[in-house]
Amino acid sequence: MEEKLSFEENMAELNKIVTELEKGDIPLERAVELYGKGVKLSAVCKKQLSEAKIKITEVDGNIPSEK
Amino acid sequence: MPVVTVTQLNKYLGSVFRGDRNLQGIMIKGEISNFVCHYKSGHMYFTIKDSESALKAVMFSQAASRLKFVPEDGMSIVAAGNIVVYERDGAYQINVTDIIPEGKGKETAALEQLKRKLAKEGIFDTAHKRPLPDIPKKIGVVTSLSGAAVRDIINVLSRRWPLGEVYAVNAVVQGQSATDSICAGILSAETAGCDVIIVGRGGGSSEDLSAFNTEKVAYAVYNCKVPVISAVGHETDISITDLAADMRAPTPSAAAELATAVSVDILSDRLRIAEKRMKSAVSAAISGKEERFALASSRLAAKSPENLLKLTEERIENMSKRYGLAFTSYLERMESKINEKIRSLDNLSPLKVLSRGYSLVYNGGEFISSSDELENGDIINIRFGKGGAAAEIKDKW
Repeated sequence: MEEKLSFEENMAELNKIVTELEKGDIPLERAVELYGKGVKLSAVCKKQLSEAKIKITEVDGNIPSEK
Repeated sequence: MPVVTVTQLNKYLGSVFRGDRNLQGIMIKGEISNFVCHYKSGHMYFTIKDSESALKAVMFSQAASRLKFVPEDGMSIVAAGNIVVYERDGAYQINVTDIIPEGKGKETAALEQLKRKLAKEGIFDTAHKRPLPDIPKKIGVVTSLSGAAVRDIINVLSRRWPLGEVYAVNAVVQGQSATDSICAGILSAETAGCDVIIVGRGGGSSEDLSAFNTEKVAYAVYNCKVPVISAVGHETDISITDLAADMRAPTPSAAAELATAVSVDILSDRLRIAEKRMKSAVSAAISGKEERFALASSRLAAKSPENLLKLTEERIENMSKRYGLAFTSYLERMESKINEKIRSLDNLSPLKVLSRGYSLVYNGGEFISSSDELENGDIINIRFGKGGAAAEIKDKW
């Protein structure tokens, strides 16, 4: 689902969910829905971390060249 | 034209040098750098330089042992010796026979002067130092892409921060064009949207680092809109770039470590913590709801028809008990009232009056209350308190 987003965006979303959950005082259904979303996000984040490969661009002067 | 070997050429040049009076027994003025004293042989190897050029120098142990001081980098000297060809390398050098020190090196003095000037202009101010980004997206690397430094940096970054992006700008790091090349590199990395830039090179002698000791590079670092980490790779000499940078790293690898304060491991930890917090928040939410549910259901039970019925029954029972008691006492009260009435009735009974000596007189079935109702000769009945009698009227009045 959120796989298209960057790790940072997913992580930020996850943190938002955690904060909202920790506020308490939310309907149980919403809490369960958030939790499910959070677990999925966390799995996506883990996958992104394990599959990440650094992107390197090398430029000489002003001509960028992908490597 | 005859063909000669390299050895033949170098040997020939050696003899030319030896035969040139201008190259033998001369005095050279300059500053010592790259000073090394070979610990076993006692030979000293160094470079004599001025602002434009450098000359390799060697002082053999025999001559070196006669020196009354220890030469060191940055020292201004006049060296006496002979220019010779080092045949193996095809390089010329001076075989130093004596060294006369000349106070503090001019180059060093100029550098100190520039440092003071830039310090006054606020280039090195701590207040200007910016914090490095927690999680860098794009890390700029300005260095020679053919050097070891860039490989070291990329190795560290791919291990610690594979989610990141490296924007490596090839820059000339030594020689005449180095200053402008480094400045352009910094600007290029900034324009490309890097959020932190590593500028540097791996090691090198102090004259090779001269580009990192220029005002231009210092200003390029200072004016850069994103934080700059210097990795000039010289632990002993702090360059002007080091001073102007937001962070100084002793080596390129260290710079890469500094640029990635948050590594993948830390992020994994953060993920775990987020998961844990989420779980405990949810279970706290659920148990909170459970408590409220328990409370509500107990309140609801209190209002249930069964309970109300039970309460009503109790109330009725209670009331009927009270009612029964009240009725009994009412009956008792009535009974005693009736007895009282019976007693007063008794007192009023004609029989009671008769018992006191009064008598009732009947004529036939009629009570006689006046003598007018009687005639002489009438037979009357008399009722006493006890018994009765019949009598004949003889007279009346």
